Amino acid sequence: MLAQILVGGVATGCIYAIVGLGFTLVYRSMRMVNFAQGQIFMAGTFLGLVIADHFKLPAVPLILVVGAAAFVIGLIVEKLIFRRLYHNHEVFVVGSIGLGIVLTNAIRIFFPEPVPFPKVFGTGIVTFGGAFFQISYVWVVGLTVLLVLGLHVLFAYTKIGRGLRAVAADTEMAGAVGVDVRKSIAQTFGLSFAVAAIAGVLIGPLYFVSFDMGDMIGLKAFSAAVFGGINSIPGTIMGGVIIGLLENLAGGYVSSSYKDLVAFVILLLTLLVRPNGLLGSETPVKV
Amino acid sequence: MKQLLASVAALVLLAAAGPASAEVKLGVIAGLSGVGTSYGIGIRQGAEMAVKEINDAGGVGGQKIDLVVVDDASNPAQSVTAMQRLVSDGVDIVVGGWGSSQVLANMEVSERAGIPYVIVGATNPNITTEKNRWSFRVIQTDSVMAKQIAESAVGPLKMKRIAVMNDSNDYGVGNREVFVAALKKLGLEPVEVQSFQSSDKDFTSQLARIRAANPDGIAIFGTIPAAPAIMNQARDFGIKARFIGTGGLANENLITLAPKASQGTVLTTYFDEDVDADAKAWAERYVKEFSGGAQTPRPVLAAWEYRAIKFIVAPCLAKNGVDKAKVRDCIAGFKGKLFALPGEAKFDKTGQLEQEPVLVEVRGDAFRGFKAN
Repeated sequence: MLAQILVGGVATGCIYAIVGLGFTLVYRSMRMVNFAQGQIFMAGTFLGLVIADHFKLPAVPLILVVGAAAFVIGLIVEKLIFRRLYHNHEVFVVGSIGLGIVLTNAIRIFFPEPVPFPKVFGTGIVTFGGAFFQISYVWVVGLTVLLVLGLHVLFAYTKIGRGLRAVAADTEMAGAVGVDVRKSIAQTFGLSFAVAAIAGVLIGPLYFVSFDMGDMIGLKAFSAAVFGGINSIPGTIMGGVIIGLLENLAGGYVSSSYKDLVAFVILLLTLLVRPNGLLGSETPVKV
Repeated sequence: MKQLLASVAALVLLAAAGPASAEVKLGVIAGLSGVGTSYGIGIRQGAEMAVKEINDAGGVGGQKIDLVVVDDASNPAQSVTAMQRLVSDGVDIVVGGWGSSQVLANMEVSERAGIPYVIVGATNPNITTEKNRWSFRVIQTDSVMAKQIAESAVGPLKMKRIAVMNDSNDYGVGNREVFVAALKKLGLEPVEVQSFQSSDKDFTSQLARIRAANPDGIAIFGTIPAAPAIMNQARDFGIKARFIGTGGLANENLITLAPKASQGTVLTTYFDEDVDADAKAWAERYVKEFSGGAQTPRPVLAAWEYRAIKFIVAPCLAKNGVDKAKVRDCIAGFKGKLFALPGEAKFDKTGQLEQEPVLVEVRGDAFRGFKAN
């Protein structure tokens, strides 16, 4: 049974990690938290559902299409909405919460009940060390690894990535040396939307999808990001996987009633004891 | 002088606002988000259909019914707030309520406010007791349904190794207790008992233990979306046991979400259109009215809401206007024929409508009558 719990924990943890990445990406560039990440993830799942139902795309093209579509939508939403909210952190936070509510209710009009997601990853069951799990789990973990590697390559080796890092580190200086700050910020949002939407497609086939599935996952992903360090990508990934594992262990060995508690206790402890998270760093302010 | 004018104006406004609401206000409370959504939709549709028919025919005693629907998000705490909203809105009667935990919480509000409450979607036995003077329940309780399914499991279904998966809320726990007690009377003990949360999505740890116990039948005391997820995951793990359950499974969305895994499930339900011709006619009308939208028709849930409003509540409102005590007494004394219920239906002294449970089986894409052969 332990193997079963660990496998489930890693898979759930990867989902928290990917959605948490959305928080991290935006925070790194803007020093602000976009609380609509959970709902963007949910909207991404429904986007994937609609595309999969209408165009019958297999797994890989579906993920690419949804990711690209979400990226573009992220650019548009940034231009129309978020750009007006940067001037004030509180306004940004409340505005993002509002966006989340709008997304939830917009989806609810079309999908008032839980619906099944097509099994784009197949229906095979894999056995591994005594654990049985759907083949989707392998995709979840595999894609998390690919995504992290991809982002690493993006940030470390490409010009766009370096630009994004520069904007994250010091917006004024980045602008001064010629980085198109507006475009970089837009691209960061686009990326955070794409990442959340891809997580949505990954989790879709595992469980039923409903308009309120983003709320809890968004909050837990936020905890994962804070726990791992909201300005650190490896930290967020680690935070997500750890929370996923601890949650499943608590559910299996203590009681399934307390599963949800784990993520929030961790969030509280992190904020109390080590607010920068495990791998986060204090941004030094030069005086 | 100005102040006098202002207060007169205010009084006039207040007076004008009063008689304008001469309609009868009927409140409906159900989960339209959260885990109860699939059921709340049916309840709302049943209410809308009944109220439309009544209003088109002239209303109750010449007054139109004003339908007020509130969403309690399938959450007991929010359900209390939702019920308080209905009370402060001035509803004359509430017909609805889904989820034993929610109803046990929100009925305190209506009891205190002295508003008749006809419950259509909660089965915990503790809801209808002698001290709940304003509450009535039209669907059968777990103390009858769980016992019925236990007897069917051992008798016609010939199950010997039964496992139990129950939701940890009042509905699931109530069912489990009655079911296990009934099994004991029949000389059986469950081979494994596992519990889960209504909003859980992953049941691997519970199913791993159940699989190890090698059952030939699994009783699932839960609701959508957990129940179909449990069925799908159980089949994925190679568990071939037949599923049984009670009212929580009685929702067409179960079959949509677990089309293969739910086949052969036997459950006690609230409504089977095959019972009599009136039921079938109603079901066809209902499906026609509500097909084609984003919200698919849910006859099983809608049937009780419709019957409660049209045949029990509306006649009492017509006779007694909005005198709550008189309406309550009228409901308590109800005796009549409701479609899909054989014989005459009446409430017992705790406010519970007496009736025989109906057994159905999932065959194909619908619930069909279960023949205990």
